[in-house]
Amino acid sequence: MTIRLEAVRWATGGTTIIETMTLAFAANRVNVILGPNGAGKSTLMKLAAGRLRPTGGRVLLGESDMLTLDGRALARTRAFLSQHVEIDFAISVEEVVLMGRYPHFSRAPGREDRRIVAAALELVGMAERRHRIYPTLSGGEQQRVQLARVLAQLWSDEADPPARILFLDEPIASLDVHHQLHILETVRALAAQGCTVIVTLHDLNLALAYGDRLIFLRDGRLQAIEEPGGVTPALVQRIFDVRATALGDADGRVLRFHL
Amino acid sequence: MRRLSWIQVNVLLACLLAGCVLLALSAGSFYFAPAQIARFLAHGLGLGAIAPEETLDLNVFTTLRLPRVLLCGVTGATLGLSGTLMQGLFRNPIVEPGLAGTSAGAALGASSVFVLGNSALSFTAPLGTAAVPVMAFAGGMLATLVVFRIATLFGHTDVLALLLAGIAVNAMCNAGTGFLSYIARDPQARNITFWNLGTFTTADWRGSLLVTAIFLPCLILILRRGKDLNALMLGEDDAAYLGFDPERLVWRLLVLNTLIVSVATAMVGVIAFVGLIVPHMMRLLRSSDYRFLLPASALGGALLMEAIDVVARLVIRPAELPVGIITALIGAPIFLWILLAHRRRIASA
Amino acid sequence: MVDKRLFSRREASGLLLAAGAAALPGRALAAGPGNRVVCVSKQINEFIYDIGAQGHLVARDLTSISPPQITRLPNVGYHRALSAEGIISMRPSVLLTDGNVGPDPVLAQVKSVGVPVETMAPGSSMADAQALMLKLGTYFGREAQARAVVSRWQADIKAALAAMAPYARGPRPKVLMIHFGQIGNSYLGLSRGGAADQIIAWAGGVNALDQVGGMARLTPETIARAAPDIIIATDVGFDRYGSAAKFRDLPGVALTPAARTLNIHRVLESEIMYFTPRTAASLRKVAAWLHPPARRGA
Repeated sequence: MTIRLEAVRWATGGTTIIETMTLAFAANRVNVILGPNGAGKSTLMKLAAGRLRPTGGRVLLGESDMLTLDGRALARTRAFLSQHVEIDFAISVEEVVLMGRYPHFSRAPGREDRRIVAAALELVGMAERRHRIYPTLSGGEQQRVQLARVLAQLWSDEADPPARILFLDEPIASLDVHHQLHILETVRALAAQGCTVIVTLHDLNLALAYGDRLIFLRDGRLQAIEEPGGVTPALVQRIFDVRATALGDADGRVLRFHL
Repeated sequence: MRRLSWIQVNVLLACLLAGCVLLALSAGSFYFAPAQIARFLAHGLGLGAIAPEETLDLNVFTTLRLPRVLLCGVTGATLGLSGTLMQGLFRNPIVEPGLAGTSAGAALGASSVFVLGNSALSFTAPLGTAAVPVMAFAGGMLATLVVFRIATLFGHTDVLALLLAGIAVNAMCNAGTGFLSYIARDPQARNITFWNLGTFTTADWRGSLLVTAIFLPCLILILRRGKDLNALMLGEDDAAYLGFDPERLVWRLLVLNTLIVSVATAMVGVIAFVGLIVPHMMRLLRSSDYRFLLPASALGGALLMEAIDVVARLVIRPAELPVGIITALIGAPIFLWILLAHRRRIASA
Repeated sequence: MVDKRLFSRREASGLLLAAGAAALPGRALAAGPGNRVVCVSKQINEFIYDIGAQGHLVARDLTSISPPQITRLPNVGYHRALSAEGIISMRPSVLLTDGNVGPDPVLAQVKSVGVPVETMAPGSSMADAQALMLKLGTYFGREAQARAVVSRWQADIKAALAAMAPYARGPRPKVLMIHFGQIGNSYLGLSRGGAADQIIAWAGGVNALDQVGGMARLTPETIARAAPDIIIATDVGFDRYGSAAKFRDLPGVALTPAARTLNIHRVLESEIMYFTPRTAASLRKVAAWLHPPARRGA
């Protein structure tokens, strides 16, 4: 299922954060949103995920306006991983991940929900720490728990799973390099199973390696949409104000940056 | 040792509460033996006769003790539940029910009846004896709404703004109550002072049943929101992505919270710290999961309040201490301890 | 001009009327050992001891501490924050109050279980107080004792007032009476119209406060402006500071003539807050402060 922004604009307190833009995300692909600080990446994510009401235009999921959809039904097919989730209460890792199943059960979780929680924790490598208290975990561990939560939210073991959309806002910022790659591999595998992924990243090289489609923003304006192969030093210069040199290596292209 | 399940903990709390209620029914300036209580209750149901020399005891039991124990339990449950609710709504474990201005606003509303009720400004006269609870609710609601409006000025609930607005509105309401007690004639000031300390001494059936009748439906509505409050722990955005409507949730629960707190406060006065201690104890006991915490803190609040009221009735018998003094006495050190533990955890994180 | 007569004409007729009413049968407590009285008014409690009816008392309020032997009785709490159960548990045949007690719902609760609540307002004049004494005499079936107490009381006052006669011509020092020391940043001053004010007037002094009725909240500035020559403080507030020298250092008080001459004195609340058979003694005590022998000679 595709998410499309039709002439969407967003302003707050007289300041326009997102200038009018029309844009479609590629279904079942990894869409990476890139841009310098303050480009409007997070705002664009929230608009596309249906959290913010556009000041102008509309966000369509398939053929329906995102804002007309039932929140709970939407939550079964659309999940969002925030940059950093801080919890001030003593709650266990397992209970946090179980929240991902809330849209799927009404009173008490079923056996299926428990199984999915366990599988999601296994997938992010936190199964052994499932009884730990969330606020006592390191920042990177907390991020992995939250990833397990959104994975549990969209979990499907069916051969032909329903269309799903996963938003990830800087999912790897607080992770070591091993877990960065592990999470991006997981995300790519998810896209291969029929899940639309929309992710913001700061690392251009990781975006080139894992992204299917790169969306460049600057000053609240849509600047370019490219396949990884179409990213040129000139584009990088225009968006980020840095010079880039392409280096070849066995796996493909790597960019090195200079001021 | 295997940890108890949520249900086991709640059943345990309910059993302890039943025991404490029995103790509260029995102990005090009048002592009623359990057998006597059973006979009085049976008599109330039309079974068995009471000897004439027991008439005074029966009267004390039915018109003073029973409504008092009921009011005490419901007030404790209200404060415990409200503490948990507010902490969930503010996503902060160091929040007291009075923080959003509810208690201070209710106090101001009730004080205005005490002081202006017999003057030319007695606009509440048509309300009769209901004037105090009605004005307490109006005051509590007004204060809460002001805080909430300020906190949500920019579309979303900003917790820091909410806390700061709460401090400011509390200060304004306290100043208003202070002004009223300063200009009050002696007997009116006496009422304010008495009422500000918090006590169950004045409990009667009318008040107790009113508080109970308002509390029970609110309790049922609130208990259904455990999952919602859990999701809110993640923040409003993440709760929304899980399919909840955080803005509406916060609104609804704030209204329910204000309702139960104001009405209870109008009946018994300001009782501090119960709303802080009880949720914290319940968190330590088992979990911060609101599906467990909401019923547990209602039970725990009732339990603690009954126990404290028994103490209040016994220490200087035949006189009584206001329960507000006892709760502040044991509550304030526990509050400091929670604060310290919280700071330590932040420092170590 | 200070009214030196014992009673005004209006007061005197009031006293007669009250005495007549008290003599009427009907409201009296049935005499006998079964009467159990809980009395939560310090003045009435004193009077009950004066007429020797204390055998009926089973409990008192927190502030009833005079005469000292009353403290052996259980106390049912502060007279403005009473609790019904505590009172009823004394199994009283009546609850006696001066009408200045609370909270109101508690009185209703006491009545609701069948304990009668008898209110005897003490009034504000000495005539009222004496009428109250006679009324209590009737109530407890001790009319003779009450009459004897009142006539001795009247004689004592008459003698004391005669002793005050010389002061009427002399200078009249300004007296500030501070009750209960300090609440927050303010002191309570005893205004005109009460027993304390009357005692000062009889003693040839003048109340430093103009306000009529009840108590006035004082600020350091109003104390300084009242400029009393003498300060009289009731025991609870005075004892908080311990001595006249320490009391003198309070803000505002330090700026008064009374502070310069250390003319600051302690009285018991029961000595000046209401009229009792001991008022004559209080009057002499206060007068001695207002007119010390040295100054009288000067």
